[in-house]
Amino acid sequence: MEIKVKILRFNPETDKRPHYQTFRVEAEPTDRVLDLLEKIKGYQDGSLAFRRSCAHGICGSDAMRINGMNRLACKTLVKDLSKGTITVEPLLGLSLIKDLIVDMDPFFEHYESVMPYLVNDEPPPLKERLQSPEERERFDDTTKCILCAACTTSCPSFWSNGRYVGPAAIVNAHRFIFDSRDRAGAERLRILSDQFGVYRCHTIFNCTLACPREIQITKAIGEIKRAIATGSLD
Amino acid sequence: MRNRTVPQPAMSFEYIMWMFTRISGLALLFLGAVSLVMAFVMGARELLDMPTLARWTFFPNPNHVVNSKIPDVTQGWANAYWQIMQIVIAFFGISHGLNGLRVIIEDYIGNTIWQPMLRGLIFLVWLFFTIMAVFVILAS
Repeated sequence: MEIKVKILRFNPETDKRPHYQTFRVEAEPTDRVLDLLEKIKGYQDGSLAFRRSCAHGICGSDAMRINGMNRLACKTLVKDLSKGTITVEPLLGLSLIKDLIVDMDPFFEHYESVMPYLVNDEPPPLKERLQSPEERERFDDTTKCILCAACTTSCPSFWSNGRYVGPAAIVNAHRFIFDSRDRAGAERLRILSDQFGVYRCHTIFNCTLACPREIQITKAIGEIKRAIATGSLD
Repeated sequence: MRNRTVPQPAMSFEYIMWMFTRISGLALLFLGAVSLVMAFVMGARELLDMPTLARWTFFPNPNHVVNSKIPDVTQGWANAYWQIMQIVIAFFGISHGLNGLRVIIEDYIGNTIWQPMLRGLIFLVWLFFTIMAVFVILAS
């Protein structure tokens, strides 16, 4: 079947502002939106710019707005979208570089600000730092993050103020704060209780809806708010 | 799983106001329910329209309930208990609402030069409404 794909294009060398361009593509219902973009780039317009890497929903490179919702192009099937035109636009809240490519630097700066790595200065045991299955389960959900930025760029608080650390950074802080082997929970909670930390989250739930890994993001943010209020990491 | 705790971060202004929003929201519901129930206990039976119910709930004050046909309205409502009750409701209501406005404004402006100016303006508005509310309650 033939599908119309309407893409928001922007070439910083020639365009003053972004504009839509519509392509007609032959597609199967089981094709992914990424396949459509590859067909357009390969056979119709080689100048189309978008990020992709693994194409299997793991690397998080190809998050974009598809029919108004943040999704991974490699996980979105044509048959799951409403019939007619498929609209593809870049993520909101980050500055546009070209076509579907946005500047991810602010996103990763916020990610780095929450110390997304294990901190433990205690002498390592002979074999490994042991953890019970229950302790591992405590932060299992937030280990699934692939840093695609679908959550942060769906958040109205982030749209209105780019200094807010955003849901993705909080999710990755959660992954270490609730890790029984980590010792920097207090430091991360201090960072997140700042003016641009968790209190800019107004539980809008866009992040939870947008997450392609189905992480319960708003719940994780709520758990961090509770940890700040009680000091308990259970 | 052993209990893990960390020292709580020093109380930031954002944390205090976030906690205040929750406590004041719950307090407003509780105080409003008390006012409404007490209006019925005192014999309010007529004019059960929405504005009247809202006045009974959030403005337990003889000026506001005089048309509710509560017998002996001035004896029922015009005493220190209801004056304190209404001052507390007004304080929580004004603070809760204006803090919400502050949060919305700061969502957009962040900590630019506008932040201290608008915070100051909201504080002055808060002070004005609080003083006016206390004056009206005590003078009525």
